[in-house]
Amino acid sequence: MAWNEPGKPGQDPWGSNSGGNSGRNDGPSAPKGPKKRNDQDLDELLKKAQEMFGGAGNKFNGGIGNKGIGAIFLIVLVVWLLSGIYIVDTAERGVVTRFGAFVQETGPGPHWHIPYPIESVQKVNVDRIRTAEIGYRSDAQNRSGSVLAESLMLTRDENIVDIRIAVQYRVSSAADYLYNVRDPDATLRMASESAIREIVGKNTMDYVLTQGRNEVVAMVRELTQRNLDAYQAGLFITTANLQDAQPPEQVQAAFADVVKAREDRERLINEAEAYANRILPEARGQAARIVEEARAYRDQVVAQAQGQASRFTSVVTEYQNAPEIMRERLYLDAMTNVLSNTSKVLMGSENANNLMYLPLDKMMTGGQASVPFNANLGQTPQPSATGSRVNTGSSSTSASNTDGSPTNIRDYLRNRELR
Amino acid sequence: MKALLGIFIAAVLFIGSNSLFVVKESETGVVFRLGEIVKTDLQPGLHVKTPFINNVRMFDQRIQTMDATPERYLTGELKNLEVDSYVKWRVRNAERFYTSMSGDYNLANQRLSQIIKDGLRSQFGSRTVEDVISGDRVEVAQIITRQAGREAEQFGIEIVDVRLKRIDLPRDISESVYRRMEAERQRVAADLRSLGAEAAERLRADADRQRTVIIANAFREAEETRGQGDAQAARVFADAYGIDKEFFSFYQSLNAYQQSFSSKSDMIILDPNTDFFKHFNPR
Repeated sequence: MAWNEPGKPGQDPWGSNSGGNSGRNDGPSAPKGPKKRNDQDLDELLKKAQEMFGGAGNKFNGGIGNKGIGAIFLIVLVVWLLSGIYIVDTAERGVVTRFGAFVQETGPGPHWHIPYPIESVQKVNVDRIRTAEIGYRSDAQNRSGSVLAESLMLTRDENIVDIRIAVQYRVSSAADYLYNVRDPDATLRMASESAIREIVGKNTMDYVLTQGRNEVVAMVRELTQRNLDAYQAGLFITTANLQDAQPPEQVQAAFADVVKAREDRERLINEAEAYANRILPEARGQAARIVEEARAYRDQVVAQAQGQASRFTSVVTEYQNAPEIMRERLYLDAMTNVLSNTSKVLMGSENANNLMYLPLDKMMTGGQASVPFNANLGQTPQPSATGSRVNTGSSSTSASNTDGSPTNIRDYLRNRELR
Repeated sequence: MKALLGIFIAAVLFIGSNSLFVVKESETGVVFRLGEIVKTDLQPGLHVKTPFINNVRMFDQRIQTMDATPERYLTGELKNLEVDSYVKWRVRNAERFYTSMSGDYNLANQRLSQIIKDGLRSQFGSRTVEDVISGDRVEVAQIITRQAGREAEQFGIEIVDVRLKRIDLPRDISESVYRRMEAERQRVAADLRSLGAEAAERLRADADRQRTVIIANAFREAEETRGQGDAQAARVFADAYGIDKEFFSFYQSLNAYQQSFSSKSDMIILDPNTDFFKHFNPR
């Protein structure tokens, strides 16, 4: 059996069927997928072919020697067998089909398959991360242009939001990817788009645009994956990223204004707090000042009282020793002080009946105090004897005149000037 | 001899290639004998047929997509909605698919599109906009899947999935939605600002109150303190002056005179017949 001759142990094409490392799930719900067939029919076929070939070989007893024909045949056979070697890259999986039917999936490394036309290999990259952009398309410069028809959708509260999601995925099963769905990549796009709208339609705008962002994306990813698994598309979503979740262009200004309003609120509150922080310490300071001033007053009046009291007690002890003399001296001292610092008019009291005109207003500048005539100066002073203040405008004491006495006035004036 | 051999080999190859055929993993095959179907549902792999008498047709068995064009539907409250849906389907029974659709995938898509649209029309007509957008989207899709599934069975088609992609309001309604959203935001913004003003006013008022209270308390304390001072001073005076009341009166009076008459502008009119002048005018 020339087929079994290639000297690569473990690469026997007939025995290696069970070695396929395809991670397929042939669950009960799985639709028609490729199944491993036993190779009986193929063996028979090959036997027949060999017999035919042997039969044909018998005709080759012509010009060339059997050996030569054999050598050529062997070379051709070796070349044909060698053409079945293929290498699967680390990022790829090889899908081997025999006469179109799926046989096995092969992992990275060098492999051999029965050469064309019996078996063939399709390589599928399973590590490359592919991206589906929902709601926008980014060009080479990474500028993203939005696709409004895709990105605008309704929320539960009948608002419109603008959402863009990037779904990143890779092939999880090469065979499923190739044989189960026509155009799996477009299918993923559609499933994602439908899932996004379903999830967004179940939530309110506020939730989608604010705290629900991550949850929404997670749910979209889960739902999309579930749909893809139902189609057995052989795709696995690695991540779903929310590129953007915004209110639509037309109402952005109003939304921005809400943000501004929130800032305004904070600002107003901060300003008010600043005001409070400014006036309260001021008030406390003011309060402290009021209290301190009062304390100062208290201490001041007490100290003054104590001073005056001790002065008085000192004088009183002396007074009690010699009351008359002390009285006289104190009185005279006081009068000296008073009369030396004031303006005086001395009048005899003989002509008390005659009115005497004193130009008091000229003698004094400004309303000043005059002393009533009956001042008992010199007489034994009464307690509470004080000079009662009299307005110059009101009738003054009927002062008696000496002799018509303009002279007196003149004297007085002179006296004043001499002072 | 050689030529004969060549012809023979060519003939063998020709007949061989006409009697063998391959069904791919993603396909199913139907074998006809002179136009009538004799074998269906061929598994992938190598198959034999009689040359010239049998012929074979392959059908794609993968899941197909029918992406319908967006349509307008009326909801229960007579609002228009633009709905974009898609259907995932696959050929389940190749024989029936061939006889009913003559194996034409485009024709199948058209038929499905009609079926789906009829289903959607009736479903949307009995639901409100809110129902369709939020809750019933999945339910609608499931109902349509079941209904269309029954209808599609006669074409040998299995409906895998019906999904509603876009459910949008028509453009003119969208505009009014935007206006409503704007109005809502304006309300929220105004709300926030006035709340801010309110909070600020409260804070200011509270601060003002505290200030007033602080000052008032200080004033109270100050008055108490002053009173204490006055009282203490009075006590001190009383203690001291109690020693000799009559002299106190004399002494204080003298002090008072000196303080009251202390400037040149004070005018005093004196009578010489007083004690003070008793030595001034001796008679």
